Amino acid sequence: MAYSELIKSFGRIRVYLRSFYVYGFRHRDEFTEKSARSYDNERRRIESWLGDHMAFRQDADGRRVFLSVDSRAIPENPLYRAFRAKSFTDRDIMLHFHILDLLKVTGGLSVTGMMDELSDRLSEFDTDEMPDESTVRKKLREYAALGILKTEKRDRETFYTLGDDRTDISSWDAAAAFFSEAAPLGVIGSYIQDRLPEKFGQFRFKHHYILNALDSEVLCGLFSAIGEGRQLILSFHGQRRTALPLKVFIGTQSGRQYLLTWSPVRDRFSFLRTDRIDGMEDGGEPECPADLAARTEDFLSHVWGVTGNNSRRLDHIAMTVFAGEGEEHVVRRLNREKRCGAVVRIDDTHWRFSADVYDACEMLPWLRTFTGRISCLECTDKRVIARFRGDFDALARMYGGKSDAVP
Amino acid sequence: MLFHEIYGSYYRAAAAILGEAVRGNLTGRELQSLVREHAFGESLMTIPDGLKGERWRLMHRDLSTPLENEPSMPLTELEKRWMKALLLDPRIRLFDPDMTGLEDVEPLFTPDMIVYYDRYSDGDDCRDPEYVARFRTILQALRENRDLYVHFESGRNTQPKLVVTPYYLEYSEKDDRFRLVAAGWKRRWTINLSRIIECAFAYESRTSRLPSAETTAVTFDLEDRRNALERVLLHFSHLEKETMRLDESRYRVTLKYDRRDEPEMVIRILSFGSAIRVTEPERFIGLIRERIEKQMRLAAFSPDKAD
Repeated sequence: MAYSELIKSFGRIRVYLRSFYVYGFRHRDEFTEKSARSYDNERRRIESWLGDHMAFRQDADGRRVFLSVDSRAIPENPLYRAFRAKSFTDRDIMLHFHILDLLKVTGGLSVTGMMDELSDRLSEFDTDEMPDESTVRKKLREYAALGILKTEKRDRETFYTLGDDRTDISSWDAAAAFFSEAAPLGVIGSYIQDRLPEKFGQFRFKHHYILNALDSEVLCGLFSAIGEGRQLILSFHGQRRTALPLKVFIGTQSGRQYLLTWSPVRDRFSFLRTDRIDGMEDGGEPECPADLAARTEDFLSHVWGVTGNNSRRLDHIAMTVFAGEGEEHVVRRLNREKRCGAVVRIDDTHWRFSADVYDACEMLPWLRTFTGRISCLECTDKRVIARFRGDFDALARMYGGKSDAVP
Repeated sequence: MLFHEIYGSYYRAAAAILGEAVRGNLTGRELQSLVREHAFGESLMTIPDGLKGERWRLMHRDLSTPLENEPSMPLTELEKRWMKALLLDPRIRLFDPDMTGLEDVEPLFTPDMIVYYDRYSDGDDCRDPEYVARFRTILQALRENRDLYVHFESGRNTQPKLVVTPYYLEYSEKDDRFRLVAAGWKRRWTINLSRIIECAFAYESRTSRLPSAETTAVTFDLEDRRNALERVLLHFSHLEKETMRLDESRYRVTLKYDRRDEPEMVIRILSFGSAIRVTEPERFIGLIRERIEKQMRLAAFSPDKAD
């Protein structure tokens, strides 16, 4: 099949975009998932869509291609361009523009009426091949399902008219520009911006993880199932799990998104990364206990982030930090960054954070950010303390200090 | 359906071209320029051929079209549902969008479906009417290229009053805060909106030039254990960066960042512990070493010191 810069489905390109953007050190021969020709085609497509953000380096092992983006410097996510590359047939595009134009001219048509009008229109061209009625009917139904068209019964016939379009989208320019980057499924906001004569370009975004956009199709399916209270059969890395999706957890520091699920069979809450989900099917309506919402809230009040499950025992963890005179910012940090638990003042210069969590190991990265201020660290899971201590000792040795310095 | 050709660049380019053709203004050069503006790098090889011939049957070779109206498409259900979802977001108060036509639309998602689990809890209060009024004044100044008079509380406990040229509103997802990036008095200002006491249009606009942010770089070696490679690269993925493989499990990463974010960068790097070893610059290594030494001194008077 001849090369095209358009693609039929998003799955494969998602893998390449992710690799070019996150890793960027792999050479052509390291992309072993598909053939070298596949790699060449995908790289060429991405270059065609995102040429201004592509970078290249030549080293001893060959040429490396990577996406280099400072997301703080740009008003919109460049990865949204990949969503604008869906392939179509000659007939799709022909019907699209003629159908919308004919409905505007006539105010509404039945399938038969549309066939007559199309026949007139297309007779202007040398190619006399007409799309058959079932193709036109299918396209009209598809557009009605997308909301572009409305249907109404006149006598016994179904008439198609243009969909309601009463919203003044020019009043959405700044909101669409902001939420396209700062709300889930922002790619839809970028579609709305495409309709505006001019985009509002004076927002910038710090700590902005543009890669999550690649999971938009998955997220759309998850929101739909959460809203309807349907179970899903989720496929990820060759495994399948049947569970009720409850909430989407978005990381503003990790660059990852997770799905919180509840499994009726095991009566267990657990998390699953959305970028690992590569398929989903409807799993029906589960039988949920009446107190599921309350139990979910209770579970979440003991979760630091996105690990742990309710089959584990709770760990108690406590960290005391030192903050001298003029160092109130340290206490402010403790208060605004803690996601559960409590902070209490012990004396003039010491504050104690404590919490009961399902997996205290998950807190280690956050605890390390207080390096230089920790005067006491305790946890009922001794492995947590051992890991913290071992890692600090390694860090101290790495930078030329002595080890055995963690309280 | 999110991934659909009706939202695609080819359809968008074709709509722009056909619009010009309906108006009778289309030239060959204009056609090429619209393809470049709306589509991709290699689209010039396909869109003009598709449009001008018998394939798509939308335009004749003389660039006339049988279409009678400039192409337009009503909002899709998906777009309306996304807009409706935004109406439930407290931050929508900062804007004043038209809600007509969205009354009976089901939101695509609701706030209770989403948890920003690691977002700081002291973000801006978008429910405060005074905050909203200040935000809208800044937004209008940005639209109309007007200078602003701002009176604010600085991080150093002073309360400057000055006239600035606004350039951007910067939003941090982690902090849930807006900052105004502006120029004035030959310097670049980044002002937290929550710290602005008063803000109004200036009597005249002089349009100061915005000096570039001072960027700097840090390089570190990364040991890929406990999935550190992915965690680190994803965590810093929003920064401009370059990664090189050193051997089977070690990588060298260079990150560029705004010099004023250095304290934040130090603690972010520390959060990965010994998986990361900063190799340059010396100044940054010194900042890490300082924290380690402070921790060592602190350990000496810990009442609960183990062992």
